[in-house]
Amino acid sequence: MASVASPVERGVPPIRAGKGHSFLLRRLHSLSGIIPVGAFLLEHFISNAFATNGPNAYGAQVKFLTGLPFVLVLEIVGIYIPLLYHALYGFYIWFRGESNVSDYPWAGNFMYAAQRWTGAIAFVYIIWHTYTMRFTGTHLLTHPDAAFDKVQTELQHWWAGVFYLVGIIAASWHFSYGIYLFCAKWGITVSERSRKWSGRACTVLALTLILVGWLTMAAFFRPQWRDHWKNPPATEQHTMNDNAK
Amino acid sequence: MAPSGTKTVILKIKRQENPKSSPRWEEFDLTWKPGMNVISAMMEIAANPVTRDGKTTTPITYDSNCLEEVCGSCAMLINGRARMACSALVDKLEQPIRLEPFSKFPVVRDLAVDRSVIFENLKAVKAWVPIDGTYDLGAGLRISPTEQEEAYPVSRCISCCCCMEACPQFNESTGFVGAATIAQVRLFNQHPTGKALKHERLQALMGDGGIQECGFAQNCVEVCPKDIPLTKAIADTGREVMKQAIKDFFRG
Repeated sequence: MASVASPVERGVPPIRAGKGHSFLLRRLHSLSGIIPVGAFLLEHFISNAFATNGPNAYGAQVKFLTGLPFVLVLEIVGIYIPLLYHALYGFYIWFRGESNVSDYPWAGNFMYAAQRWTGAIAFVYIIWHTYTMRFTGTHLLTHPDAAFDKVQTELQHWWAGVFYLVGIIAASWHFSYGIYLFCAKWGITVSERSRKWSGRACTVLALTLILVGWLTMAAFFRPQWRDHWKNPPATEQHTMNDNAK
Repeated sequence: MAPSGTKTVILKIKRQENPKSSPRWEEFDLTWKPGMNVISAMMEIAANPVTRDGKTTTPITYDSNCLEEVCGSCAMLINGRARMACSALVDKLEQPIRLEPFSKFPVVRDLAVDRSVIFENLKAVKAWVPIDGTYDLGAGLRISPTEQEEAYPVSRCISCCCCMEACPQFNESTGFVGAATIAQVRLFNQHPTGKALKHERLQALMGDGGIQECGFAQNCVEVCPKDIPLTKAIADTGREVMKQAIKDFFRG
């Protein structure tokens, strides 16, 4: 018969007892997913949900956030750096793992694989979302009132809408199961019973986040505000280029 | 070859002459017998080592000893999954029954693999109760029945390495220590005399390939033939390792 894959020659090396820094880096990855990245995600869902109260409420919330003291420092230290660390180290973890769901098709193993895929989808989404919302078009740091219109304009493309729907699922799933994993790995939920309940709580959290995200999106299509983007407020359109001048 | 007209069992076995050679597949068909398991099937092959297409071959090499799921020797991949061959009943398996050596351990020959990594890991985390000294240490402390009940399930580990083979994180790039060793840390840290080395065991688990590599896919607890609460042991030890890390940082 034909020969199959080459045999294992070396095998897995034994633990390097007490040596190296991977413990610190991996625990930082785990922690950064909850604080600050997860905390920011929650804030982001809550702040965006102000859209359900209309363009003015939405604008006011964006104004509040962009008016926070040291907003650029908060953005860089509180969001960009931890998010990038979490994402890049996450890919490193993914590439070193050998997913085997087809041989062992069990719930925990499926979630292991899903945690990697949802993380990757969320990351691609976040890159695009940050690029379009933060670094192109109307500058929201200087023109927070234009926030509702900016989001609405973007959602005029059907594919952008689909990407938002998917991005919301991926981020909600990844964050919620991330909390479950955090609790299990840091030894908060040790017993089978506590892990069963944390699993249920995290499922409810994921579904809630997805629902809130989708309801927020729907707000941009409500009849009374649907055409808001076509009649922007009195201020003229300000683009990134204006600010560069 | 089984005589025609009888109920047969078909086995497809991945064979390899030595650690360096390429593997090949051989098929066997055997006369079915009641209560047959994978080991007894391979004993039949050894008695008459002829493949399905009539070629004479060598008996299959595999590790085994107790034949009652206690020694941990005969772990292999059966229909793609890590399990003990002695307790794998032929009647409960889909045919042809596919037998392969563990995929993450160096093959010695056929289904026998070198599982010394688990013993290296157990040594690295000092998975023992320190009782050696220059004088008689006397009787150990009494262990309460409650503690005994906690410890007993973990003490049943047979070092078969099924948990490691099934783990997506156990591979050459992570060097992950695996669930069995972490559970043994939990066992010996709980022991009233074993506790003496608790901090050393926890510090060992902070090294590269330590407990942090666990991805909580939970395959370990599913494949464990001894039903050891491995995920519980990992969560519990994770907590202790974290406490130790904080203590080491702040108190030195």
